[in-house]
Amino acid sequence: MTRVLIAEDDPNIVESLSFVLTRDGFEVAAALDGDDALRRLHSAPPDLMILDLMLPRRNGFEVLKLVRGDPALRTLPVIVLTAKGQPQDRRLAEQIGVQGFMTKPFSNTDVVEAVRRLAGG
Amino acid sequence: MASTPLLGPKIRDRRRALGITQTSLSATLGISASYLNLIEAGKRNIGGSLLKRIAEALGLAVDELDGAAERRLLGDLGELAAEPALSALQLERQSAAELAGRHPGWARALVALHRGWLERGRAVGALTDRLHQDPFLAESVHDLLTRATAIRSSAEILESAREQVPDPHRRFVSIVGEESRRLADLAQALAAFFAPAHAGTRAGTPAEEVDDFLLDRGNHFPALEDAAGAIGAPASGAARFARARAAVEAAYPDGPLADEVRASPLLTSDTARRRARRALESYLAAAAVMPYEAFLAAARRARYDVDALAREFEASVEQVSHRLTTLRRPGAEGLPFGLMRVDAAGFTSKRAPLPRLPLPRRGVACPLWAVYLALQSPGAIVRQLAELPDGARFLFVARAIDKRGPAFPMPRRLVSLMLACDALVADQTVYGDGLDVASAAPATPVGANCRVCARAACAYRQEDAIVGA
Repeated sequence: MTRVLIAEDDPNIVESLSFVLTRDGFEVAAALDGDDALRRLHSAPPDLMILDLMLPRRNGFEVLKLVRGDPALRTLPVIVLTAKGQPQDRRLAEQIGVQGFMTKPFSNTDVVEAVRRLAGG
Repeated sequence: MASTPLLGPKIRDRRRALGITQTSLSATLGISASYLNLIEAGKRNIGGSLLKRIAEALGLAVDELDGAAERRLLGDLGELAAEPALSALQLERQSAAELAGRHPGWARALVALHRGWLERGRAVGALTDRLHQDPFLAESVHDLLTRATAIRSSAEILESAREQVPDPHRRFVSIVGEESRRLADLAQALAAFFAPAHAGTRAGTPAEEVDDFLLDRGNHFPALEDAAGAIGAPASGAARFARARAAVEAAYPDGPLADEVRASPLLTSDTARRRARRALESYLAAAAVMPYEAFLAAARRARYDVDALAREFEASVEQVSHRLTTLRRPGAEGLPFGLMRVDAAGFTSKRAPLPRLPLPRRGVACPLWAVYLALQSPGAIVRQLAELPDGARFLFVARAIDKRGPAFPMPRRLVSLMLACDALVADQTVYGDGLDVASAAPATPVGANCRVCARAACAYRQEDAIVGA
């Protein structure tokens, strides 16, 4: 089964996203802050990560940078979620390297579709 | 203290207007009548305590008597006349003196209005800036978006399982779904409204209009990049940039430069258009000396080391720094840099902002910025990791350059040049080496400028913030 790691600090969003992804056949794990996300990336590497750019304790951009800089994680597909859908955030994320970009508030179907597209499963 | 030539007559006129005799006034002052006569005839200089006593006896303020008030009024009228918005009126110094002399009340009214107008303009500008930079607002909007996201996501789940919900509750599941979508759109619109934006364009000096014009085009002119290819790079050797400039002027007396300038509604005067053309000529010359693809490749190889690039392309540090901000060809972009140049008095003579780094149009930026610190150590490169109140972090790299002054006794001319990039990408530059740019690392807490800054307790604060903390 395809494993998805959701790095998002709002527990309600984590819950609803986990629900719709599990319903669609994915195995879902969650990290509530940047440090936790990095730990899980190493201890239980997922097939795709959904990353909120505004995580506490190491913001999402930094996590993204560390992922891209790590040879073991460099090819991990990452979809970033952000409440700041501003062009400069998008450009910065693209400069560092992302595969998908979703602005909050998102529609569940859009997220599921993006995950399916990037991780197969 | 020397008296003004009109002091004596002023004293005499005022004394007579009050109906006081010379004898009476001199008695009040404790001087002889003949001495007072000499004073009124302009044959004696007075100052200090005697001037004060005379003023008091005549019911006037000292600065009204000795002309200081009038000189200030003239100065203020001069500033008013220099307003770019009033340039079409062509106000002259001579008529200002007449107005101040004959109708001081009206002159003072004009000055008071001018001050009020300036203050209001500054307040509006600061409020606008504060709207876009206030950390509380930003946090609240972010929070709002998160709530709206959570609601929408859950509402969608309920809607997809509507069949399992018994009537009449099914209806309300639909309502929640509908409202959550509306709330989502509203939250997004609000977030977009408060997003950092360029400062509003106000009527400004020609230099400011040219700045706006360049910014409006994203500091990148594809047509000029192509034209630079046609001109070709000047041969290696001295004054490479100057030779490129000469080639540009020869090749394009009109042509693409004139078109770019003519088409822009942001340039409202001939002066502004001429300045813009010169700026574009410099752009073109720089593009000839540092062709886009070769320069981009070299910049990446050198990790944006400005001195190394200056040596490689035989250009000045300033020309290289400026060229770095123009690497915005879609699909082949260099690292995004902001640029700022100030003189030793703090006047900003060049500005290319970054999206989350506003640079001041008028006035100064935060006094802690590296661009000002660099003036204290000319020639040295000053690096600074700076954090704005909204959490945005930047690497500032500044140096003060000694521009050759006109001649020996004249003071040396320092300009400070600063490049800025987002801290997150600073490790792609040589200037980020050895600096811990992680979000937990210490950074200098700065603001954009004191007027809009939310750091109430900052020891370097120049003036109060426009909105109370």
